[in-house]
Amino acid sequence: MDFVNQLQRKFIDYSSSLHREGIVDDQFTQLRKLEDENSPHFVMEVASLFFEDCEKLINNMAIALEQKQGVDFKQIDECIHQLKGSSSSIGALRVKNACIAFRSFSDGQNREGCLRCLQQLSHEYSLLKNKLQTLFRLEKQIVAAGGSIPRVH
Amino acid sequence: MAPTLPSGDQASDQDNWDNGRLARKRQLLTEIVLRNRLTALVVDGDTTCRVLEQLLLRSYEVQTQGVDNGRDAVALIASGVKFNLIIIDMILPVLNGLEATRQIRDMGVHCKMLGVTACSGESERQAFLAAGVDVFIEKPLDPEHLVPILRELDGQ
Repeated sequence: MDFVNQLQRKFIDYSSSLHREGIVDDQFTQLRKLEDENSPHFVMEVASLFFEDCEKLINNMAIALEQKQGVDFKQIDECIHQLKGSSSSIGALRVKNACIAFRSFSDGQNREGCLRCLQQLSHEYSLLKNKLQTLFRLEKQIVAAGGSIPRVH
Repeated sequence: MAPTLPSGDQASDQDNWDNGRLARKRQLLTEIVLRNRLTALVVDGDTTCRVLEQLLLRSYEVQTQGVDNGRDAVALIASGVKFNLIIIDMILPVLNGLEATRQIRDMGVHCKMLGVTACSGESERQAFLAAGVDVFIEKPLDPEHLVPILRELDGQ
């Protein structure tokens, strides 16, 4: 029982740090509240969908920015728009903010600025993915040890 | 019941009281029990958004269907399927949200339409409203926006 409490404490502290660091916002907390016995892991599953789409969009933007015959800023804009929407929907605050900054350079058709923003966006995405995967691993450890996932306010 | 452990932050009694009142107010705003069975169509080209919006609606026991482009949304409505609510993004593959909204309204469909989009500019808002959505919401779709609309549709 003490081991489960330790894991639960670790989970609470880690979740709190994600909010403190701005990795996730209140939208993520609201999604967690929708988990119930019928769909206990849906946030984990939706996060996987988000990671797949995110990687695809970042890759598409990288390819678009490397085109020697000219950058298709309309395509860049559509990718940023989609990523802004999905990141805000899952509560990925820093990824969303990176998209907002990216948009201003894309609107200005500033290739160099876009490349810097893409680098920043990739960094924020990697950070989010690593942190959420750590969180989900902690969840699995708690459940495997016979405990329940604490609610974090 | 899952345990709730303190986060370790030291909040004042006033902070706790204010946060508790805010949480309760939010709870009242976002709780709803529907008397009628409502149906909704979610039109969003992004899988994450579409899945999350459908999940949110289903948490209120709204029966939902999802499509990922504007052309399929128009075709579904044209086939005669009726919904109490349509949630539609502005930027969609194949046929964009503005044109899809116009075509749906041109068919004589008067159901509630929410434009839920990552766009946040005033010009986008005006364009979407002019196309025929009743409400413009910047993503994410959240209970604070959704529940009052569900109450209205449910006649509460």
